[in-house]
Amino acid sequence: MHEIGIAEDLSKIVIDVAVERRLSKVTKVNISFGELVQIVPEIFEFAFREAVRDSVAQEALLDIEIVPVRMKCIECGTGFRVEDNNFKCTKCGSADLEIINGKELFIKSMEGE
Amino acid sequence: MEIKIMKNILDRNQNKADEVRNLLTSKKVVMVNIISSPGAGKTTLLERTLEEFNSKYRIGVIEGDIATDRDARRLHKFNIPIVVINTEGGCHLDSHSISKALDSFDLDNLDIIFVENVGNLICPSEFDLGETFKLAVVSTPEGDDKPGKYPLLFREAMAVLLNKTDLIPYTNFNLENFKRDLSGINAKVPLFEISCTNGDGLKEWFKWMSAKIS
Repeated sequence: MHEIGIAEDLSKIVIDVAVERRLSKVTKVNISFGELVQIVPEIFEFAFREAVRDSVAQEALLDIEIVPVRMKCIECGTGFRVEDNNFKCTKCGSADLEIINGKELFIKSMEGE
Repeated sequence: MEIKIMKNILDRNQNKADEVRNLLTSKKVVMVNIISSPGAGKTTLLERTLEEFNSKYRIGVIEGDIATDRDARRLHKFNIPIVVINTEGGCHLDSHSISKALDSFDLDNLDIIFVENVGNLICPSEFDLGETFKLAVVSTPEGDDKPGKYPLLFREAMAVLLNKTDLIPYTNFNLENFKRDLSGINAKVPLFEISCTNGDGLKEWFKWMSAKIS
């Protein structure tokens, strides 16, 4: 369900940029979502479609990249990918971690003409 | 033509959340964002907590409710400032609605604001409200698999409250499985095993929460 609010915020960013750059049409929007935010791409696509209806971005394709969860160990500095919800350093076992990737709700770029 | 943007989609929410957090810090108010499924016991937890804290601290409540003010009405007996935010079907609160709600409080005369978010384990986790910390509440009849299914919430919560422990004998809830999954996701998070019905474990929760104030 959070897909709706996020798609609405995305559509605002995209339409604002399109107006600012005087685009007649947005063709593609490139975004990345971290695995932890649990966005369902199909629902997001649907929500985005509704949000951009009758706008300059109504035909824009969405390119969604899903970013795996990566953490960095504060104890030993090891960077590692989190699998099976195991948030412990793969080298020293510490649970003192900082997040590097996995929470992205990010617009990278958009294409238009 | 490709236009680079490189921006958080929720920038608008995040900027307002940062503003709210600065305001609350300057006013020395602790704001707790309570997140759980519908029916896990957020409002009952608030009732028990207010019974204990109302004479000790100056408390305000923000009730996030999809369509009614039923939860808020349960708290009227405490005679504290309460603001209801109806999300009109929306599945979470956001920082803009919180910021507006804060206008109704006298922040110079408050110690704590409890925010009862809309019952939902996914959406509220992603929208920063400017809270001091998040609290995850989960109840035993929901099953012991919640941490594994909703890792972001359990990763970000400052504490986890497992409610309705008195019902464990009547469910297939396995406490060991729950603790093992939770520890995999967030090994350091304090877990309070409570029953808001019979009062089990509430003292430890009150003590922990008191230490977060002042």
